[in-house]
Amino acid sequence: MAAAAGPERPQVVAHVQQALSYTLFDCKWVPRSARLLCLGSAARGTGVVQLYELRAGRLELLREIEKAKPIKCGTFGAASLQQRYLATGDFGGSLNVWNLEAPEIPVYSVKGHKEIINSIDGVGGLGIGEGAPEIVTGSRDGTVKVWDPRQKDTPVANMEPVQGESKRDCWTVAFGNAYTQEERVVCAGYDNGDIKLFDLKTMSLRWETNIKNGVCSVEFDRKDVNMNKLVATSLEGKFHVFDMRTQHPTKGFASVSEKAHKSTIWQVRHLPQNRDIFMTSGGAGSLHLWKYEYPAQRSKKDSEGAEMGVAGSVSLLQNVTLSTQPISSLDWSPDKKGLCVCGAFDQTVRVLIVTKLNKV
Amino acid sequence: MGDESVPSLLDQGTTKTYQIPIGHLDYKFIEKCTDVKHLEKILRVLRSGEEGCYPDLTLFCEKRIEHLDPGSRALRKDKPAATASDFTAEEWETINGELMSWMTEMREDDHKPQFLGTDTLLEGQDNLPPIRCSSSCLPANQNEKLQNKQRYKKNIPRDYSEWDKFDVEKECSKIDEGGEENNSKSRFFNRPSLPLIEKKIDTTGMTKKEKVFIATREKEKGNEAFASGDYMEAVTYYTRSISVLPTAAAYNNKAQAEIKLQDWDSALQDCEKVLDMEPNNVKALMRRATVNNQLKNYETAIEDLNKVLCIEPENAVAKKNLLETEKKLKGLKPVSKTEGKGKRILIEEIEDSEGSEERGENAEECGRSSGDKGRRQAAGPAAMGSAQRKAQGAKAEGREQRRDPAGTADPKGTAEEGAQRPEQQGEADGYSNGEGARGSPAEQQPPGAHGDGSTSLPPAAAELKREGNELFKGGQFGEAVLRYSEAIEHVVGLGEQIPDDLSILYSNRAACYLKEGNCSDCIQDCNRALELQAFSLKPLLRRAMAYESMERYRQAYVDYKTVLQIDSSIQAANDSVNRITKTLIDQDGSSWREKLPPIPVVPVAAQQHRWDGGNFTSEVKPSNTTDTNGEEQLQMNREKAEEEFKTLKNEGNDFVKNGKYEEAVNKYSECMKLNDKECTIYTNRALCYLKLYKYEEAKQDCDHVLQIEDSNIKAFYRRALAYKGLQNYQASVDDLNKVLLIDPNILEAKNELEQVTQLLNLGSSAVTGSLQKQRKKITIQEVTESDEQEEGQFAASEDVVTDDDTSKEEVQKSTPLKTSEKLTISEPSNAYDFGQIINVVNANKDKVACADLLTITDPKKLPVLLSNKLEVETFLIFIQSLEYYVLGKDPSLVYQHLFYLSKAERFKVVLGLLSKNEKEQVQQLFDLLAENQNHQYSSEDLESLKKVYEL
Repeated sequence: MAAAAGPERPQVVAHVQQALSYTLFDCKWVPRSARLLCLGSAARGTGVVQLYELRAGRLELLREIEKAKPIKCGTFGAASLQQRYLATGDFGGSLNVWNLEAPEIPVYSVKGHKEIINSIDGVGGLGIGEGAPEIVTGSRDGTVKVWDPRQKDTPVANMEPVQGESKRDCWTVAFGNAYTQEERVVCAGYDNGDIKLFDLKTMSLRWETNIKNGVCSVEFDRKDVNMNKLVATSLEGKFHVFDMRTQHPTKGFASVSEKAHKSTIWQVRHLPQNRDIFMTSGGAGSLHLWKYEYPAQRSKKDSEGAEMGVAGSVSLLQNVTLSTQPISSLDWSPDKKGLCVCGAFDQTVRVLIVTKLNKV
Repeated sequence: MGDESVPSLLDQGTTKTYQIPIGHLDYKFIEKCTDVKHLEKILRVLRSGEEGCYPDLTLFCEKRIEHLDPGSRALRKDKPAATASDFTAEEWETINGELMSWMTEMREDDHKPQFLGTDTLLEGQDNLPPIRCSSSCLPANQNEKLQNKQRYKKNIPRDYSEWDKFDVEKECSKIDEGGEENNSKSRFFNRPSLPLIEKKIDTTGMTKKEKVFIATREKEKGNEAFASGDYMEAVTYYTRSISVLPTAAAYNNKAQAEIKLQDWDSALQDCEKVLDMEPNNVKALMRRATVNNQLKNYETAIEDLNKVLCIEPENAVAKKNLLETEKKLKGLKPVSKTEGKGKRILIEEIEDSEGSEERGENAEECGRSSGDKGRRQAAGPAAMGSAQRKAQGAKAEGREQRRDPAGTADPKGTAEEGAQRPEQQGEADGYSNGEGARGSPAEQQPPGAHGDGSTSLPPAAAELKREGNELFKGGQFGEAVLRYSEAIEHVVGLGEQIPDDLSILYSNRAACYLKEGNCSDCIQDCNRALELQAFSLKPLLRRAMAYESMERYRQAYVDYKTVLQIDSSIQAANDSVNRITKTLIDQDGSSWREKLPPIPVVPVAAQQHRWDGGNFTSEVKPSNTTDTNGEEQLQMNREKAEEEFKTLKNEGNDFVKNGKYEEAVNKYSECMKLNDKECTIYTNRALCYLKLYKYEEAKQDCDHVLQIEDSNIKAFYRRALAYKGLQNYQASVDDLNKVLLIDPNILEAKNELEQVTQLLNLGSSAVTGSLQKQRKKITIQEVTESDEQEEGQFAASEDVVTDDDTSKEEVQKSTPLKTSEKLTISEPSNAYDFGQIINVVNANKDKVACADLLTITDPKKLPVLLSNKLEVETFLIFIQSLEYYVLGKDPSLVYQHLFYLSKAERFKVVLGLLSKNEKEQVQQLFDLLAENQNHQYSSEDLESLKKVYEL
């Protein structure tokens, strides 16, 4: 029994479970608070935003907001710590920014995509990432668009397939490399296994690869450092960790892949307090906690003298099964190390505590 | 159960899924099988239950796989989330408690209006970059060919319903097979060069909470970068964290990263910052010990390690490091000793060498003994507190002058440390004015520095006095008191009228009492000395110090004031006056002056320095105060000399401006004949010598200035240059540090420091030699100092009697001769005597004296006498004296000396440091020796000795 709990292994404790009456798509911690948001779709086809507060062993509903369209995803990534405005993407392809104190009218709204916005990410807010606050959205219409809340109606960058090209469903987007005011990249994963890395500074496609199966989730280990690692999870239960420090002229980035969950890996989220630890959530209601170990040398010279990266290894720290339904969303608390919320298709939101992360 | 069922299944062929022979589902087979893949298949079959349910066998198979491959995926099992039962009650309590306190904290934050509510979307962020150019549209598929090639698989997104039928295992194994080709299809775009990360974060308008938040995150980024081995990045992020909110942890981690980058200086600074914030931070102490170890400051390292063991007696790493450091210290004992001493001497100026050498040893021993104690504590932690106290007690006992324990508790960096020591030492000695020990040139002199040359003392008394001086230098003040007392008795008994010498004896004894902390006796002796010789500087100063330590501030104030009338340049007196003034104001209020005893007016003749007016004053000692005629004459002489002095100085300065350094030196030297107390002349001449590449002379001039004025920045800087020229880089660095300590804004000094440090690092092997050299040279200072004292007195009398026709240069020349002659009268009995003589000989390049010395010295004793002090300079002067003066008289003695010289410690080192020229000198001596063949040594002997000399 290798997975038998050694005393120093992190443990995953299900702290609170809360059954919901709607389909949950995304859940997020409100920064600098013990509150969390649940975003989803009510049975009658409307969007739901619920604000809960964690109180002594239970979740107390503070507020429920109903919107016209089901909400697929949300982020605080581009909001300042003072304001904490929530940016959401809905089934209708609209990007909205809400002030949760006055949620009646969005502070920013744009119909950015023709179809559902599958994924959203923000950078430049919360003190995370240098430079301007920007939001990126990825949609089924095949486009990836970057928005600046200071600019109405039009995106500041638009990554779309050329005319005549069949449109791929973009399932996931993520910001990274925002370590100076100018540097910034967007990574997008598509249903056909394509991963594309767009450099927003040079406005070019910096790198692309294909992992053969639909890319469900991509995330940089940190958005606000010189891009270090990228994890991409796929439909068939595998995930890839790319070392993003060294790009080889032909071989690109070195990577290591690992099979986990015997089902789709829906989400990957890095621990905000330690970029080398991340959690993946699986289609069979399981959560796996991983640690990335660096190799002795992160780069080496190939026969032609070009630098190429060397991938490290991943080790499983813990795994738990919480549900029979896929866990579709996952979010670490930015404030409390080890605190985590996840939402599953069994219409339940769970607050988890992961212990002993300091000792890893 | 499994055992019985297996044989019956043997005939049934293979399993359904993997076609494994049924026979393999057996304990014996599993036990022997090493193929993990096969075992995993077996496990899957067993778990599926398709061949029956065998829980024991399944468990056995799992264990076997775990044994072979602990990370095997087959071992991963679905597990429910942990519950309270998985933890001990205590752990569970902690987990919940932490969460609760966090929630409470968060809720409290919510109620505080910490975030200003603003309605605009992005207020207060005017420093943001402009909005990205909106026309930017980027085709996602740039390379169609590549795209098409990749699309060999079905790439229409699966319907959600289709996912249920998805066979993960099959997909996985497919990927396993063709996994690696992915990357080769990746596309490449040139990577732009990396811009630098900002080292500072703009924190304007942030609340404290936000700052904490950001500082923590930046620190975490640093930690992560550190974990990935990118130490440069780690340092950057720690710096950013510190720029937001300086925390001990961030500094501490930064220090660790800098240690990894081998940036010792920065690491040291950061450790010190941590220790400023948290004096008992074990990590910082350990890290500083590491840094000091690398910088070869073993003693400091040991101190830190001992402190760690004091806090954490079980710290195994500290113990190990301590042992290693001690070993290194032992191995490098001579070096570290001289090193430590060199530093100390620079600041102490003329605290005699022997004393500080002893100090070094003591410090070392104490370090070791407390180290031992530390180890013992580890054995019995219960006894820890007392053991440590004992260790410190031992330290304090070990030597009077040992740094007080309070000082040990807060050690400073290397550069500062030297400066700290005399102060702390002063405190330990019972002076309350620490700076006094450093600041006053008069006080730092060994008491016997003056008077050695004056022969008016009867021989017995002179001998006693000499012994007393020696003892004083050695720190044995009690013994020294006895000698001086004897000498005083002797002189008084003879009834001779030699008030000057008697005064000196009293003054010296006073110094001993002062060192011992016996203030009342000190005052008595000073009184006597002053009765005999009014307005004598040293007894006044000593009495002032004694009064001050007895808290008789008014008397101390008066004495210091008197001292300042005599010589306004004595920094210690100035400082003390300021300090006492404050105390007196506190004590007596604004009318404190009224309560003072009258301050005596010092006659002009007794005044030595008046810097303010730039007046020339003669260095007349108040020996002739009664002679009014002499005084008048003196006054006239002085005025005349003053004018002459000014003209000569100006002429010299003009020569310097025109680059005629030789002439300038001459002019300045003439100036010095008139007034050897004017520092600027010396610094100017030092500059000329530097320009003329006469480093030794330049150094001597600077030394002279520094004895008069211990913070003369020019003198330090020029001496540093001279040391650099003499390739004594360590000394040079020390001087430059001193310059920067006084005024950190001197750019030249900074540049110079960089250069010299590089040079110093270049020849680490040569460092030992130069350190040795430095050490010795300092001792020379002492000698020249005493010469000048005499000289002063000579000159004074000459000034009065004659009209400047006796040049001081001559006096200077003759004095060393006299000294060495005097010294060579008796055969050196120990290494210390020998060393002293050698120092003088070296300082004056006096080959005759050296030859005399060698003649009376038994060659066999040479290695013992030289001990570990042999160095190039000494070696060369030996060779030269032997060649010029001894060879003609006694060739066999030359052979013997050469033979035993080769047995001396450090001989090989010195040999290695000889230049080609110098080697030729040795060769020449051997050639001459061969010519003067003698029956006492054969040509074979000579040949073999030549080999030893690597010729």
